[in-house]
Amino acid sequence: MHTQKKNQQGEISSLVERVKSGDRESFMTLTRLYQRKVFQLAYSYFRNKEDALDIVQETFLRFYQKAHMFQKGKNFQNWLLQLAKNICIDYYRKHHKRDNELRREENIEEVNQTSHESSHHDPSSDLKEIFSRCLVKLSDKQRMIFVMKHYNHLHYSEIAQILNIALGTVKSLHFKAVRNLRTRMSPYMGRMG
Amino acid sequence: MKDCKKTNRNLVAFLYGELNEFDKKQVEAHLKTCQKCKAELLELKVVYETADSLNADMEKAIESVDWENFPTRIADGVFDQKPTRVRRPRRAGLRPFLLQPRFRLAYAGLLLGIIVGAVVTFLIFRSSPLQVGEDGRIVVPHGFYDKMELEMARRETIDYLDSSEYLLLDFVQSSPEKSVEFWQSDYASRRAIELLSKKKYIDQQLDNIKLVKAKAICDQIELLFFELMQISDELSVEELKKIQRLIQERQLLLKIKLVRKELQKSEV
Repeated sequence: MHTQKKNQQGEISSLVERVKSGDRESFMTLTRLYQRKVFQLAYSYFRNKEDALDIVQETFLRFYQKAHMFQKGKNFQNWLLQLAKNICIDYYRKHHKRDNELRREENIEEVNQTSHESSHHDPSSDLKEIFSRCLVKLSDKQRMIFVMKHYNHLHYSEIAQILNIALGTVKSLHFKAVRNLRTRMSPYMGRMG
Repeated sequence: MKDCKKTNRNLVAFLYGELNEFDKKQVEAHLKTCQKCKAELLELKVVYETADSLNADMEKAIESVDWENFPTRIADGVFDQKPTRVRRPRRAGLRPFLLQPRFRLAYAGLLLGIIVGAVVTFLIFRSSPLQVGEDGRIVVPHGFYDKMELEMARRETIDYLDSSEYLLLDFVQSSPEKSVEFWQSDYASRRAIELLSKKKYIDQQLDNIKLVKAKAICDQIELLFFELMQISDELSVEELKKIQRLIQERQLLLKIKLVRKELQKSEV
């Protein structure tokens, strides 16, 4: 199992080496292998398909530009997700932060009221909407860690490597993220869940 | 209570299956007996399940993308660019070093210094005593020359006191037996003559009312040098000892120091 993983890593490294010298096929192979992983991260961060596809495209473009910085023997997936994470945060700050600041003023209670007024009332979809809004309100780091843990199913150690922070910090931020979501959502749990 | 705190801290990791066997068993055992922690876990589970329910949307979004052709699209975008788009690693030069955030404070201090310096220079030039008259000639305000003279006198007097102090120190510190030789030496006689002639030069300036104290002490020094130069050959060792003692008793050196300090502070 360990040897298989090592061989796989070796293959990935040699593909990256070829990309460095401008090999299109190797670039496409790597894109094919990791595009879904990057999409998952971006989609769960933005909850929007178009934004997520923009991120995937930008991530692979950035990978091509920075391929010379990839060190042999390092985990390529973690390195690529690190690029994707940075792009997500920049993209969010550039395109969405202002919208969300405006939405921040909008009370979550409004979701509740609007849904009760509508004739097709689905409590679980309300909770989903409230969850999405609460997720956006977390700090950049807490949100990214939650997304990586919950949707990308990464281990704490992998997240620590991608975000370049201590393992203990990842654990503590993930704990805080889930607790913050629970605190924000708890008034609506009884009513909707 | 202590168990509750510990379990609470581990509940999220427990939910995500990140606990080791030992911690997992401890949490499970605690949950069997504690209703409060159980309720907490249930709420966390709602968060977990709601987050999970969004997975379906994500799966739908993933399915709707044409992943087969997507790499070609990306590669077209990447490889059709001009080669200059590919960045080369930056050479580590002085620029990145100087742009480090830790130098921010130093740069702020430097900038502040420049601003303060500019303001002070502006104020000095603005309040300059020299003004240009209507006909283009420089007009010197009333009292400017007096001030200038006073300032020159002050500086000359300080200089005079400095030199006198050194010479007197040499005299006081030398043994009475050697003090005759001292006053007969080239060095002492040359210095004393210099100081006596300097005193004549600053005499006119010392008449200024603001330098009265300085004048008194300079007169004393002058008299002393004069006497020593004139009669040191005829003085006995005992008499020279007496003069040395007199200088010390009258605290002439201390007075010189005090007057000099006062003069230094009273810059015009």
